[in-house]
Amino acid sequence: MEKSFVFQLFGINFNFANIAGSTLMALAVFFLCKWLAQKVELRPNKRQNVIEMILDFTDGIVKSNVADEDAQKHLSLYAFVLFMFIWFMNQLGLVLEVKIGDLMYIKSPTADPVTTMTFAMMTLLLSFTFGIQKFGTGGYLKNYAGPVSFLLPINLIEELTNFLTLSLRLYGNIYAGEVLLTLIGNSLAPSYGILTEIVAAPLAIIWQGFSVFIGSIQAYVFVTLSMVYIGKKVTKE
Amino acid sequence: MTFQTLFAAESGKLYFGDMIWYLICFAILLVAVKHYAWGPVKDMLEKRRQQVIDDLDSAAANRKKAETLANEREAALKNSRQEATQILSDAKTNAQKQGEKIVADANDQAAQIRKQAKSDAAQAKADAINDARDQVADISVAIAEKVIAKNLSADDQKDLVDQFIKGLDD
Repeated sequence: MEKSFVFQLFGINFNFANIAGSTLMALAVFFLCKWLAQKVELRPNKRQNVIEMILDFTDGIVKSNVADEDAQKHLSLYAFVLFMFIWFMNQLGLVLEVKIGDLMYIKSPTADPVTTMTFAMMTLLLSFTFGIQKFGTGGYLKNYAGPVSFLLPINLIEELTNFLTLSLRLYGNIYAGEVLLTLIGNSLAPSYGILTEIVAAPLAIIWQGFSVFIGSIQAYVFVTLSMVYIGKKVTKE
Repeated sequence: MTFQTLFAAESGKLYFGDMIWYLICFAILLVAVKHYAWGPVKDMLEKRRQQVIDDLDSAAANRKKAETLANEREAALKNSRQEATQILSDAKTNAQKQGEKIVADANDQAAQIRKQAKSDAAQAKADAINDARDQVADISVAIAEKVIAKNLSADDQKDLVDQFIKGLDD
């Protein structure tokens, strides 16, 4: 595992690679969306088609997993931004990895469990919010004891496992992708001189392509599971 | 991998700051994207949906209107065809009637004229006979006068009287 450049501000530790990566990708998402939606017309132009397609895609995820109409309306924006943001952060490490000396300065923020757990926690808290909004605090807590009361401990543990699987799945996939890419680039390529470098180049290209695919799938899975967990909270079993 | 390495690499420091930064970043991104992209696009999608509904509605109404119009036109066409036939047949019967009447009138008139001619001819004939009879009478009286003036013997006179008397007896 690479060392990260960690600095301290107001007594809190910050990891520079994560901060820089996420900020860059947030800007990228924002400017891409702004560019795509620059001229929104009733008769759609090409850019508008692209953003409408993405929006349609994320709305489809929301609609197929959340039955509640009111929640659907609120989750549309969340799903859209979450998908775009995570997708961009997944792809960042494939395109750009800055390492100076021994320290990482830019990499995929999602290759760090802290990042994925933050987003998983966000989903978890959001699901609590939607559940309480729908059933009230009492009704919501009662849902933990349903459909049968002896399922209460299982339902409580499920919250933790949902949170862990959601975050660690994304982290594991992206981290493994980066590790393998680093191994091909740093260990395999220079191991036996020019020969291995020739072999390593196409391998790296193939793995990068595959990682783009994995990053997209994982972004999709993350958003889908988020919606599944939230959807479960707003429907009575 | 121990718990510590999972979370903090080898620096041994857990970076909670990242979490706060992500949340701030994400919140700002949500607001910005909503304002610049998601909001307008959603509005436009809704507007388009509304327009499509309106278009479909108006298309259905138009089709209905066209259908009734076509029906009306067809009915009017059928009507006018019927009317035309009626007019034609009326005209035919009228013409026939008129023709018959004209022929009858002509016949009557001809008969009248013929009758008139016949009576005229008869009158003329009678007149001519009467005239001739008068003339014959006059001529015969004149001849008789002449004959009587020339020689009227006693015998002759007697014969004449006898004849006259005979004529009376008849």
